[in-house]
Amino acid sequence: MAAPTAKVSRGWSGLALGVRIAVLRLPGLTQVRWSRYGPEYQDPQIDKEYYRKPLAQLTEEETYERELRKTQVIKAAPATKTSSVFEDPVISKFTNMMMKGGNKILARSLMTQTLEAVKRKQFEKYHAASAEEQATVERNPYTIFHQALKNCEPVIGLVPILKGGHFYQVPVPLAERRRRFLAMKWMITECREKKPRRMLMPEKLSQELLEAFCNRGPVIKRKHDMHKMAEANRALAHYRWW
Amino acid sequence: MLKGMTRLVSRVHKLDPGRFSHLGTQAPQCPVAHLDNQVPTERTRAISRTLENDPAKHGEQHVGQHYNISIQELKTVFPHGLPPRFVMQVKTFNEACLMVRKPALELLHYLKNTNFAHPAVRYVLYGEKGTGKTLSLCHIIHFCAKQDWLILHIPDAHLWVKNCRDLLQSTYNKQRFDQPLEASIWLKNFKTANERFLSQIKVQDKYVWNKRESTEKGSPLAEVVEQGIMRVRNATDAVGIVLKELKRQSSLGVFRLLVAVDGVNALWGRTTLKREDKSPITPEELALIYNLRKMVKNDWQGGAIVLTVSQTGSLFKPRKAYLPQELLGKEGFDTLDPFIPILVSNYNPKEFEGCIQYYLENNWLQHEKAHTEEGKKELLFLSNRNPGLLERLCAYL
Repeated sequence: MAAPTAKVSRGWSGLALGVRIAVLRLPGLTQVRWSRYGPEYQDPQIDKEYYRKPLAQLTEEETYERELRKTQVIKAAPATKTSSVFEDPVISKFTNMMMKGGNKILARSLMTQTLEAVKRKQFEKYHAASAEEQATVERNPYTIFHQALKNCEPVIGLVPILKGGHFYQVPVPLAERRRRFLAMKWMITECREKKPRRMLMPEKLSQELLEAFCNRGPVIKRKHDMHKMAEANRALAHYRWW
Repeated sequence: MLKGMTRLVSRVHKLDPGRFSHLGTQAPQCPVAHLDNQVPTERTRAISRTLENDPAKHGEQHVGQHYNISIQELKTVFPHGLPPRFVMQVKTFNEACLMVRKPALELLHYLKNTNFAHPAVRYVLYGEKGTGKTLSLCHIIHFCAKQDWLILHIPDAHLWVKNCRDLLQSTYNKQRFDQPLEASIWLKNFKTANERFLSQIKVQDKYVWNKRESTEKGSPLAEVVEQGIMRVRNATDAVGIVLKELKRQSSLGVFRLLVAVDGVNALWGRTTLKREDKSPITPEELALIYNLRKMVKNDWQGGAIVLTVSQTGSLFKPRKAYLPQELLGKEGFDTLDPFIPILVSNYNPKEFEGCIQYYLENNWLQHEKAHTEEGKKELLFLSNRNPGLLERLCAYL
């Protein structure tokens, strides 16, 4: 996954065991942003259920896979990936994006306070609503978070392409991870910049998440602006060659 | 076999048909006939609520169960004194439920058997952070309020020794300092909690406030409280008068007095307040603390003194300190010396189950995995059955 976007630099660095050689296309070029693990290293299996399956119940492929893993070298699991049942990769990614200067403790506490704020607001709404409306009020902060980010994801994006000495904004379909990244980035920037001076981040974030969940609010508006720009520039779509 | 049946019968009687819907249709019928299919479901699910809302009737069988306090009672009995996270929980759930726990039951037993002719006994609740000392104190206060005692509740003594903007030199004694804001807030809350007593108790001395205002002998205590609330400059002196009068008159047996102080270790520590010349102020130079120390001495009869020592909010004490000796210091411990220490510890497994059940019933645990056994085991591991930590964990799950 790092191969097509790998940055390479000139010069020869000493080859150590496990260093990626196969990726380099030109001799004398080494990657600047790379992983210290070679291609033979496997990702760690963090899921507890995988190990809890009794050996008698495994199929042939699974037994083969287990025997194979015993011979392979495995990367160390990062400290942020736990085998907790409550872990959520989207929440972890969002927390990492909110983090400033490596202060993960602060970022995580802001995230948990945001989820609590969302929950409390929804509970208030639930108690204030009538019996029929109570079924429609969503109280799970995790579903609200996921749905809000999904609503903020743009479908199509703009990419600057150089043609004839000028940069043109060309509409381009975005990859799944780019869309997720843009949604989270817009959410965080919106909350940081347009926040009133004395308001705390969890309160503002919870407000924005609830609005995005209902498909209104400034982040949704930014997504729509992006779509409109792409629609306006659709004549330039031919500039895309991939 | 017979014991099991009687326990089952008493449990079914305690159940409200509206709460557990699957028993709703069966409850009016004879419980004995449905023994077989009721016993397994009853035993596997922990009971988290009890219908017994009177603290006087709480016993060993209610440990781990929550009882309800109505919102009106909450406003009169606890205008101040509830921990802020509990207040948030009451607002979110629209109900105030307190768990019945062993330390509170022990204290209730002692209070029920107090001899009011003997000097007031001092009880000190101590424990690590987040174990439930303040809420146990609130349970006791609710009991005493229901039994018609006069409640003298100082919600957090630490608030009186730090972050005070306006310190005035006391008019009564030049060496001491007044804290008008804190005193007036406390007087307002005291008035809300004890309305009915204030008109009955008569002041036994004449008090002169300034050239134009004075309170005559024999006028009700409500006048002193009013004076303190209206004239904020005299609020600290009004508090001092209230404390003195209550101490004097409780020995006569007209009413029973409960002195409840949360964070009593603030009375003997250090303060962060400074004079104009930047020299530090010791606690006894604050008039409020000086008068409160007199209340906490056991030289009066007709009531009880329940205290809490806490490290949260304390000044210049290490984070891990929780024992009374460490937090009170030599001076405080010697002053409080013959007291009954009551340890408040983390939940036992039954109480933990009860707490989780309560959250599940209120739909507070929204995460899908929190309902599973795996999730419960993880919550147990992460919180180590500490009530405060568990509450904070469940808040975002």
